[in-house]
Amino acid sequence: MNEHVLHALNEWKASQKQDDTIPTPIDTSMSRRGFLKTMSIASGGLALGFTIPACSTTETKKQASAEVKFNPSGFIHLSENGDLLLYCGRCEMGQGISTALPSAVADEMEADWQRVTVKQADGNKELYGPQNTGGSASIRKMYQPMREAGAAAKEMLIIAGAKVFKTDVENCYAENHFVINKLNNQKLGFGELASLAANSPVPEKPTLKTKDQFKYIGKALDRHDQGLVVEGKRTYGVDTKLPGMKYAAISHCPVLGGTLKSVDKDAVLQMQGVIDVVEITPIKHPFSSLGGVAVVADNSWIAQRALAQLKIEWDLGPNKVYNTKEYKAQLVKNVEKPAELVTERGDVAKAFSNSAAKVSATYTGGHLCHAPMEPNASVVWVQNDSCEVWASTQSPEDIQTVLAQYLGREAKDITVHVMMAGGAFGRKFKCDYVHEAAVISKQINAPVQLIWSREEDMRTGYYHSINAQHIEASLDEQGNITGWLHRAAFPSIVSLFQQGLDRAPANALGQIDNHPFAFNNFRSETGYAPAHTRIGWYRAVYAIFYGFAFGTFADELAYKAGKDPVTFLNDVYDNSTPIKNKRKHAEQVQRSKAVLALAAKHSGIGKELPKGEGIGIAVHYSFNSYVAMAVHVKVDGDNIKVLNVDCAIDCGQVLNTDGATAQMEGAVVMGMSLSLYTEISFKDGAVVNSNFHDYPVMRTSDMPNVRVHIVDSDEKPTGLGEPGVAPFAPALSNAIFAASGTRYRDLPIKPLTV
Amino acid sequence: MAKTININGVEHPIDVDENMPLLWFLRDRLEFIGTKFGCGSGLCGACTVHVDGQATRSCIIPISALAGKSITTIEGLSADGDHPLQKAWLEHNVPQCGYCQAGQIMNAASFLATNDKPTDEDIDNAMQGNICRCGTYQRIKKAIKSVAYDLAKEV
Ligand code: FES
Ligand code: FES
Repeated sequence: MNEHVLHALNEWKASQKQDDTIPTPIDTSMSRRGFLKTMSIASGGLALGFTIPACSTTETKKQASAEVKFNPSGFIHLSENGDLLLYCGRCEMGQGISTALPSAVADEMEADWQRVTVKQADGNKELYGPQNTGGSASIRKMYQPMREAGAAAKEMLIIAGAKVFKTDVENCYAENHFVINKLNNQKLGFGELASLAANSPVPEKPTLKTKDQFKYIGKALDRHDQGLVVEGKRTYGVDTKLPGMKYAAISHCPVLGGTLKSVDKDAVLQMQGVIDVVEITPIKHPFSSLGGVAVVADNSWIAQRALAQLKIEWDLGPNKVYNTKEYKAQLVKNVEKPAELVTERGDVAKAFSNSAAKVSATYTGGHLCHAPMEPNASVVWVQNDSCEVWASTQSPEDIQTVLAQYLGREAKDITVHVMMAGGAFGRKFKCDYVHEAAVISKQINAPVQLIWSREEDMRTGYYHSINAQHIEASLDEQGNITGWLHRAAFPSIVSLFQQGLDRAPANALGQIDNHPFAFNNFRSETGYAPAHTRIGWYRAVYAIFYGFAFGTFADELAYKAGKDPVTFLNDVYDNSTPIKNKRKHAEQVQRSKAVLALAAKHSGIGKELPKGEGIGIAVHYSFNSYVAMAVHVKVDGDNIKVLNVDCAIDCGQVLNTDGATAQMEGAVVMGMSLSLYTEISFKDGAVVNSNFHDYPVMRTSDMPNVRVHIVDSDEKPTGLGEPGVAPFAPALSNAIFAASGTRYRDLPIKPLTV
Repeated sequence: MAKTININGVEHPIDVDENMPLLWFLRDRLEFIGTKFGCGSGLCGACTVHVDGQATRSCIIPISALAGKSITTIEGLSADGDHPLQKAWLEHNVPQCGYCQAGQIMNAASFLATNDKPTDEDIDNAMQGNICRCGTYQRIKKAIKSVAYDLAKEV
């Protein structure tokens, strides 16, 4: 240790009355208060109900390696040699959050990114704040606390530096992992100052950087772990290996609500390498196992083979009547007649009877299954006095809740190691597969790895809702919209939690009611649509079909009004009337128009194109972000080739421009899969699809040229994992119409007949 | 003498049921976890390895067919992660979740070894069997092209 630092440290110790062998007497209550306060500011006045204490729990002590000297919050671990370990509290599944959030800490801390290692935090909301990762909320919720954690650490390091330099704090600043004395340019490394910095209280209200001072925020930073990926060393939920670990494969009842009638285990138990056959019964929790039968063996392959030979009989139960073809046709009928009123403003009937023209259309979409490349997988080890989980997950907290309920233990006694997920898209928020691994582990009294087959993944999902929407609108002489009637029918996610729900509740129609188009004369209705399978969040959720209906119908209206789509959309925004909050609405209009203009400009929409080509455009506001897409297609008979996609985004202050761009490229691919090809079909209550041959997600030959244009904004940052998906389908449908005159209103456009 | 299989330069005895697909021999028997399971049916390419240099889906090839052959997995593609494709993957920031990428890289490496001046269509045809659900195709293509371009310059 630098002798000046040592000296300062000794001086400090001498000044302390208590036992000086404890190096980090941080005032926890103060930092607790500090964080509570800042969290309530970050969340617009709503206390989020968690605190981020300084290093005070045994948990952190355990995590910190011996040489970590400075640990002002759960996220920051600075060693004496200057190595900086930053924990990411939110779950990583490819969206880049474990680069984005730690880079905000490092930026405010003036840390050198080259010295940073990022690790995924275990499930511990006390220490890391809310960790359940969905709704594109990570950045919205954690950007401010992460910056403050970094800024607080920097201030503490500067105070330590000033002590050593024997000068005022005002004379010191931090830069790139050093604290520097302005007066004489003396420098001390962060590592050297770590022990001393640990002795300052965590500042309550650290000063944050201004935008022009950012080093990492708003720049293109490489993903922290991509070096591991290309060498095959990045480990996922599927990759955990423990001594004595056994392998399991599982089969579920094909129909929701069905039960096990019988299973003939004898032959399978004779097979070499088979250890046990375990029956799994559901518990009362929406994210618990549906129930199934698992085979445990010495390796996954024996388990899978034995499972295939197992004779299982199921009682299918009442949902065996579910056939999606008929169900969708019924949804269409239900939206093409009056349904249950949700919201009414003005007088739609009067607007319709006084109109110059009326347009109506019905849109539909099928169930979707997330199908991340890594199927559901985890390792669980249940012992008498502990339960440890290694899982690809979006929700460590729900794992804790479900396993606590199942085992009759406290949630805090369930240890969850959050593994990198090989894609998730909403599926891994619901960790039924972890519950199953726990049941098996408990029964065989050993650590167990359960990997679902691709077939089980497709057939035992939490599916995106099958849906139908019907819109009617009236236009005046100038082609302005005067009235809007919007009916939707789909089984909603709420059906998971509320049995017997027969239609989507009012809040599930929020995106219709609060759409920035904000019509004066407006009516929304929800149609009959009971659920016959589990419905879940799928990347972009309801914005997929709301974006499709709004975006396509606007194009149909533009055509009817004889205006070009961009002019028409601008007119709609200009004529919209604020519903509740005037200021917020004005902002929505302004930002929507800005992304529209940006996408339009880059795409060249409106220019002459060769015959058979067309450009379509759509804007959608979801998850607090604004995205416009312009899709350029070439249509030749049934052959639809997407050439270019210009994607304009406004998500406030961008954290990582390269990460943002990647999210949009990915959203285009997922948008294209669901617009053109993918649909989960049910027959007699069971899913018909089984693997990638009959659930044909997009492949490389379809990849268009995607260009991403980011609005430079100082607004609060918002997420991008989901918002890019919604505008693709309507922009594509509009492009095909522009190219060929054919209007597609049903997704997917080219369904496989399965 | 038990039959053996050469994996990344090391001989391993085949001490499992001979019908076991190579994927599970790698992952569960040897604990080489860089090779991934995605579909188990030859449909996604996540499990791609080289068998005597040829890209092969390890999930559908039984170990019995591989006695005496040389297998290369992502762990053995290069000594220090310095295969031109691995470098290009970093240069173009390809991975999102990264789960499919070992298979993508192995597939591309075997293809480029036989075609160092690929057209866009060649790349599409060669890479069509490798799914990336995160949607990194645009960057994969750029990365492959950059390597092909460098190879072409060398000749
Ligand atoms: S796992 Fe082998 S091709 Fe998909
Ligand atoms: S990077 Fe996630 S599947 Fe390809």
